[in-house]
Amino acid sequence: MDAFWIIVTGFLVASSTGMLGNLLLLRRMSMMGDALSHAVLPGIVIAYLISGSRASVPLFLGAIIMGVLTTLLIQFFSSKGKMQADAAMGTVFTFLFAVGVILVTKFAGEADIDADCVLHGEIAFVPLQTSSFLGLGVPTPVWTLLILLGLIQLVFWVGYKGWLLTSFNSEYAKSIGIKTAIWHYTLMASTSVATVVSFESVGAILVIAFLVVPAATAYLITDNLKRMTLYILAQGLLSAVFGYFLSEWVGGSISGSMAVASFILFAGSFVWSKKRGLKSPL
Amino acid sequence: MDLFFKYITLQDPNVRYVALATLLLGGVSGAVGSFNFLRKKTLVGETVAHSMLPGVLIAFLLSGVKNPYVLIIGAAISGWLSILLVDYITQQSKIKGDSALAIVLSSFFGFGIVLLTVIQSNYGGEQSGLDHYIFGNAAAMTPVDSTAFSWVSGLVLILVLSFYHSIKSVVFNLEYADAIGINVRFIDGLISFITILSISVGIKAVGIVMMSALLIIPPTAARFWTNSLVRLLLLSGFFGALAGWLGAFVSYSQVSMPTGPWTIVIISLIAFISMLFAPKRGVIYQRWSKLLLKRRINEENLLKTAVQNEVRGGGKLFNRRSISQRQFFEQRLWNRTVRRLRRKGLIKKVHTGFTLSTEGRSYGAEIDRRHKIWEIYLQRRMQMSINLVHDEAETMEHFLTPEIEAEILGELGLCSRFNPLLEIHELVPDRPLNPL
Repeated sequence: MDAFWIIVTGFLVASSTGMLGNLLLLRRMSMMGDALSHAVLPGIVIAYLISGSRASVPLFLGAIIMGVLTTLLIQFFSSKGKMQADAAMGTVFTFLFAVGVILVTKFAGEADIDADCVLHGEIAFVPLQTSSFLGLGVPTPVWTLLILLGLIQLVFWVGYKGWLLTSFNSEYAKSIGIKTAIWHYTLMASTSVATVVSFESVGAILVIAFLVVPAATAYLITDNLKRMTLYILAQGLLSAVFGYFLSEWVGGSISGSMAVASFILFAGSFVWSKKRGLKSPL
Repeated sequence: MDLFFKYITLQDPNVRYVALATLLLGGVSGAVGSFNFLRKKTLVGETVAHSMLPGVLIAFLLSGVKNPYVLIIGAAISGWLSILLVDYITQQSKIKGDSALAIVLSSFFGFGIVLLTVIQSNYGGEQSGLDHYIFGNAAAMTPVDSTAFSWVSGLVLILVLSFYHSIKSVVFNLEYADAIGINVRFIDGLISFITILSISVGIKAVGIVMMSALLIIPPTAARFWTNSLVRLLLLSGFFGALAGWLGAFVSYSQVSMPTGPWTIVIISLIAFISMLFAPKRGVIYQRWSKLLLKRRINEENLLKTAVQNEVRGGGKLFNRRSISQRQFFEQRLWNRTVRRLRRKGLIKKVHTGFTLSTEGRSYGAEIDRRHKIWEIYLQRRMQMSINLVHDEAETMEHFLTPEIEAEILGELGLCSRFNPLLEIHELVPDRPLNPL
């Protein structure tokens, strides 16, 4: 049963972050996902310290605030401070991450988190904290992740047309009066929330991997956005299953193994797309 | 303070290696980072650093010892592989550069974490310390590490110096470098090589997750202060060295504090200060000069309009209403502008309004003259219609240096003491008043 819940957790993380990673990939902002997942760390720690618990609401708030703040800071540095765009991003997220690590080290005892847990996560511990549902012991993180997945699906499908337009042709979207900035900030805020919620159970490595690799796998196979989301879900499920058994086999980190499994699937679709010659100029 | 004194005088023998190593590391990676910075490829460092984890661990597995040279070679090989893989993915598929970076980063690092956990559960004491590579621990530096640092720094320095001119051409203008016969592929590889080299020695002290910052932030900070490559390299190296050295001090004085994060916080602060206060490119300077420009434009507009009113027989006296008929002034803006002009002695207050002083009149006339010169130029040389030239000239009148003026007058065949107030009506039919 433990194995089942771990795989479910992995799949839930993959499907929620994968959907956002899809949009990030199309907007050529994949490294922004990496940046955000680093930059939210101080937000998490401060939320822990203020609320004194691992309750989800303060964490959500902390994540949203940090996500938007990071985006605003990067914007400010590159437009007002005249920093090169890539350098502005690099400066902001490494700085925030460093602050986060310092806070973690300083308040490790009080906040009940440590730097390693941020990286590896505790996916192996997921089945330990359960609450009963219909006679079934369902782990708490699974509930949180289910809610997250629901929210992200809602945001994605309600705004489907907007996402489609702003991701593929933001100039055109702007010209017909769509406020691209709002979509941008919504994406950034959702990414931060997804990052933080997933952080807790799977750690940063898997979040970064699942933000980009499933989307890239699907992107190589199809050009259709709706079909892409389907492939992303499938990729996430397969990575979670294979990753779990890989980790059982070698006896290593589950999160890391899932990241590796995800990459192997990507490599598969890479080879397949090369054979098919699907290299489009897009 | 006492502790700080002890630190800088290197009394504690342990401190010597740490201080030297972090100083060298910061300096070298700051300088090397400048090349990637100028090529707008700063995030490559992030991927390379993360990708080194499996290399370090495989090197350990193969050799069975934590010899720094062996681990550095392992790190460098897997860093190199990651760059090759990113290039391969971007060239062979429709995946874009930044996605490829993120894919390689997370996969290599995930693989590294798997290896690390496997090693931790299968090896005893000899593996302890390998996890320091993730967050960095300069306090655990040994003399051997420092020696390795010095060798690598020396090598990087020699490479940069001996290929300086080629590197410079490639960094600034790839096509040009190619055209004059520089082996671009070689230099490209060389830049990657020194980047990988400095990252691979740095990860033990600063940590894999922080290392890229040491390549990104110092040149970002240095760029605010200079436009010359040599100075950028030196300054960036200096900032990096300073931050590394101070960061090592923090972790020396507080035992549990990791070196990497503090180094990054310090270098970030240097960057923020540079962004705000640097002359010419700093935010404050730019804001200030913009404000001064706005003020000057308002003053010049007021004086010019007053002169024009006088010439058109509007009388010597003017106030906000009479000026606003041609050039609108809001009450507060008017008050502020008038105050500054009075302080400069360009206008005087008389009981019902203001009059121009002699200096003010000639200043205003000069602006009007420039306006007319631009109008004529735009009309004759740029073939613009009469109806359009006024608005253009309205903004350009504030920017005309004596050199450009002489050139324009020469080109238009006007004498250098051309006085538009006499000729204006022949050239441009009377304009309608500004509709407000």
